[in-house]
Amino acid sequence: MSTTTSTQVAPPARRPLRYYQIGSHLFIAVMLLLSLIPTYLLITWSFKNGLQYRWERWAISFPLRWRNYVAAWDIVGDYMINTIIVAIFGLMGMLLLSLIGGYVFARMDFPFRETLYYAIIALLMVPWVLSFIPAYMVYVRLGLLNNRLALIIPELAGGPIFGIFLMRAFISGIPEELYESARCDGAGVLDLIGRITLPLSLPGLATLAVLNFIGVWNSFLWPLVMIQDDEKQMIAVGLYKLARSATSGGVPGWTSQDFSVWGPLYAGYVIASLPLVLLFILLGKFYVEGLVDSGLKV
Amino acid sequence: MTEGTGAVEQGNVAETGKSVPVGSRELSTWQAMRRSWQAYALLAPIFILLLIFNYYPPILGLLRAFYRWRPGVEASFVGLQHFGVYFTSPETGRELLNMFKLLAFFFFSGAVVPFIMAVLIFRIRDTESKELYRLFLIIPMLVPLIVVILLWKQIYDPNLGVINGLLEQFGLGFLARNWLGDTATALYSIMFMGFPWVSGVGTLIYLGGLGQISESIFDACEVDGCTGLRRTLQIDLPLVLGQVRLMTILAVIAGVTSFQQILVLTDGGPGFATMVPGLTMFHKAFRTQQFGYAASIGMVLFVITFAVTLAVNRTVHPAVEEVRH
Repeated sequence: MSTTTSTQVAPPARRPLRYYQIGSHLFIAVMLLLSLIPTYLLITWSFKNGLQYRWERWAISFPLRWRNYVAAWDIVGDYMINTIIVAIFGLMGMLLLSLIGGYVFARMDFPFRETLYYAIIALLMVPWVLSFIPAYMVYVRLGLLNNRLALIIPELAGGPIFGIFLMRAFISGIPEELYESARCDGAGVLDLIGRITLPLSLPGLATLAVLNFIGVWNSFLWPLVMIQDDEKQMIAVGLYKLARSATSGGVPGWTSQDFSVWGPLYAGYVIASLPLVLLFILLGKFYVEGLVDSGLKV
Repeated sequence: MTEGTGAVEQGNVAETGKSVPVGSRELSTWQAMRRSWQAYALLAPIFILLLIFNYYPPILGLLRAFYRWRPGVEASFVGLQHFGVYFTSPETGRELLNMFKLLAFFFFSGAVVPFIMAVLIFRIRDTESKELYRLFLIIPMLVPLIVVILLWKQIYDPNLGVINGLLEQFGLGFLARNWLGDTATALYSIMFMGFPWVSGVGTLIYLGGLGQISESIFDACEVDGCTGLRRTLQIDLPLVLGQVRLMTILAVIAGVTSFQQILVLTDGGPGFATMVPGLTMFHKAFRTQQFGYAASIGMVLFVITFAVTLAVNRTVHPAVEEVRH
């Protein structure tokens, strides 16, 4: 065994602990398989008709019923478009404010900078249970009940709290010389933000965007209480309501007899997961970093 | 904080030293502030939004906990009445007990299990399998939370559920039951959701922490014959205590405040078997319009979260810096 080649990537080759290694592999594999069971069931069930669901619960059954996906899209599609609209407007505003805030706190020198910064960061410690009820009342008072703005504003106002924290750290790492030479060329603050900071902080912004998109996609309790019209509802609440009405036979176009409602319902769940899968395929690195960062925000 | 501001002030004074003659300190701060108008102008929209939507609501909540409050009606002061009602109502003891049970369990499933999983994956020598395991850890996270909850609801279903189906297949049909509808099993079924609790942010955070430990420490410990469980307890655990603390605090916050899965799975039932204070808060506000009462429960939960977080922060100290890197 050559120790020199392996030191770079893996821990240096030590005296073999074969049984231990095999045992670990087995244990890890079993745990991971167990945690994948719900995902497996979700996907296989989404391709079954009533009979297949009734009699072949565990196996993949053929033919695959792609029709389920058509039926599901008719209902889930609108919720997804609503959610994407909210995400686009909310995220664009959130990214802009985080970029500006991050730049100001990282690169500008002004009285009370640290006081203002900590005033923002302190908000990370306010648990949402404390603000949930009063925030609802504030939004009602502003006439935002059942209004899409009520879904966008929390992203726009609350997103930059963690955003500024992340972007300040990120922008602090940009070399000062770049700013100096731009200043010599007579660049103003907006040029410094738009022409220098923005292109160099794209990885940070991507992490932030991914993280907040996951948040919007999963948001449940807030849209549940704020939005009454089904036409404006977000995906998580939409699926919750769909599951309830599907099992009681209340979804138009879906036959609720003989287990045939389950296929389209699970197809809807799969469709609703696709944006997150796509996000992971496109921005996998930022996805994982974003998730880990979200954990580190406390 | 004051130190920081002082430094900034001095910096500005030094910068603008030429134009500022010997004057009072306040005047120079004022001048430095006027000079930095651009910074304040850029921050203004952020602070306006934060003031209305992020500072005001929690403060309002703390005040309105002492009022009778509902939309469209003027709030009236009731003093400590809500707290009195809450702590003397017969369900409250049950709710708090459920909450602490969930909290203790979330510590196990959110902080302990991911640590074990991360240590095992970290010690795998084969880099390719390591990467593969990491990928498989992430796949279940690509399913939205609400779908996971709804799936588990189906898994627990008394007639169509997978668990009862499996039990019957193995001749254990007598064990089959209405998992979420039975007072004896409902709360434990909610805890069991997500089994085996390995995939998630926790394992990734621990893996990140383990990856930061200097290779020389492991080598030294290998030479001393410190392997297996001993290494886990004496080397790995102390060096990722920062991550342990983080996951513990997250588990505490989840245990005290999260009720989405309970709302969807059982809505607190059967009876009050799975009721938690957070869900009571939600019901009081949005089913019986008692917003002041709900705000007071929110305040109680805030105090509990704050106290437990503080206690965790005081007791768990991350390892000294010299050992890292």
